[in-house]
Amino acid sequence: MGIISKILGVVLTASGALILTHAMDPNVGSLSFVLFVVGLLVMSVGFGLLTAGKQKKEVKASLPTVTEIRCNGCDFKEIRDYEKGDYILKPLEMKCPKCSGKMTIEGVYVVREEPDKDRF
Amino acid sequence: MQIGLDGGEYSWVLNLVFFAFIMIMSLYGQKIQMWQWLKQIEAGLIELKRMAIESRQSAIDTFKEHGTEEEEVAKEIDRWLDYFTIMPVDLDPAGILKRLDHLLDQRRDRFQEFVTDLTPDASNSERMNLENTLEVTQVLSLIFRIVRHFYLLGKKTGSTIMVMQVQMIMPELLRLAKAYSDAMDAFSQGKPIGDGIGPLVVTKLAREYDATPETYVHEVTKEVGYYPIEVEGRTVYAMRATGPGGTVGKPGFAVKKIVEDNKGKIARIITVDAALKLEGEEMGRVSEGTGAAIGDPGPEKHAIEQAATDNQIGIEAIVVKEDEAAAVGVLDKRVLDSLPEVIDRIKIAIRKRTKPGDKIILVGIGNTIGIGL
Ligand SMILES: [Zn+2]
Repeated sequence: MGIISKILGVVLTASGALILTHAMDPNVGSLSFVLFVVGLLVMSVGFGLLTAGKQKKEVKASLPTVTEIRCNGCDFKEIRDYEKGDYILKPLEMKCPKCSGKMTIEGVYVVREEPDKDRF
Repeated sequence: MQIGLDGGEYSWVLNLVFFAFIMIMSLYGQKIQMWQWLKQIEAGLIELKRMAIESRQSAIDTFKEHGTEEEEVAKEIDRWLDYFTIMPVDLDPAGILKRLDHLLDQRRDRFQEFVTDLTPDASNSERMNLENTLEVTQVLSLIFRIVRHFYLLGKKTGSTIMVMQVQMIMPELLRLAKAYSDAMDAFSQGKPIGDGIGPLVVTKLAREYDATPETYVHEVTKEVGYYPIEVEGRTVYAMRATGPGGTVGKPGFAVKKIVEDNKGKIARIITVDAALKLEGEEMGRVSEGTGAAIGDPGPEKHAIEQAATDNQIGIEAIVVKEDEAAAVGVLDKRVLDSLPEVIDRIKIAIRKRTKPGDKIILVGIGNTIGIGL
């Protein structure tokens, strides 16, 4: 359905434009109104087919949640995927690889993309 | 090209088309417009229905992990989806907040009873998260059912005003529903949400002054307690709801209770909460003001304001700006990054507007899901 209707849209738009240019030709005479209307109609149908279905955005996969772990003693920091049972300020069993101190979850968050800046 | 004027032998075609167009539009324009609106509502309804069904399914999936068969869970959740609360009568406003508070307590008890019956194996904090999950499912189901009601009614009666109104608020409803639908994942898994920034700020600040989960005083009121800390010679009651299960507790009444227990000694009340940002404002922006920053239906806020007024206590609010999606969805990095600034501003407030020896209530308002003590 997708590609066929797109091709049909292109063909119709092009033929509509052709009819329109033909209608502009002074030699056509009185038939030019009809050609004009028909050309517009064909072209709008073509445009309709071309732009149809465009508003359907592809479904975005939900953003990954990450867990930020920090050592209580030094400045060691690790970011990993969220695991069930994680919560902010949860003390962890694991030892810091740098100073083997205790570690805590300091953040569970997602990084949402910044929307395009408006002019204001 | 020549249009209309002296016309050739075919100009009557154009004239006919032109007049037919005018006639059709003036006679049936309204009908065409209605049809278009109904189609637009229909597209929205399909989306709303999908979200309602998906959230119901994910609620069922989460509930059935805790010791009840899927069929039983589905049946019970369907029974619960249109649970309602009747707001107290306001013709006689005297004592309306007391009545509202009573109704809200009753409602919460029924919710807890429902969840407990359905999840014999769950821990307390898992049950709190399940309660939240259920509420989100209810909201999505409610939005869908209301829009469907107006759609069908509008179609049946042909009432333009009904259809027009629904069509106009549809984008806003979809936005809201999308925010809640995205939040399902946070609530069902117990991830922290943007609304939890208040309690997080309080705990972070308290830990700077040697508070630990062990020094937290539990249950001043239902599910709310505080860390007693000393900040530069002042005694601070750093108050928040208990976590990491999802609850907002009753912080307003906890403030009132502490004020009453320390008659005349409390010098300031500072509330910290997440607030809805205006479109165009920066996510995670910290702003401050006067008043009680708490978004409950009324009784809690009233309790804080009344306690402050009766005892002439200064009251101020510090909020972190977020949009709906961030407030009910998983905590956003930019909101989390606002922590140091909020804590700074609280310290400034304490230093500038209280004296050593004073007692201060600092209260972090918000849902504590995924935020440890
Ligand atoms: Zn370390």
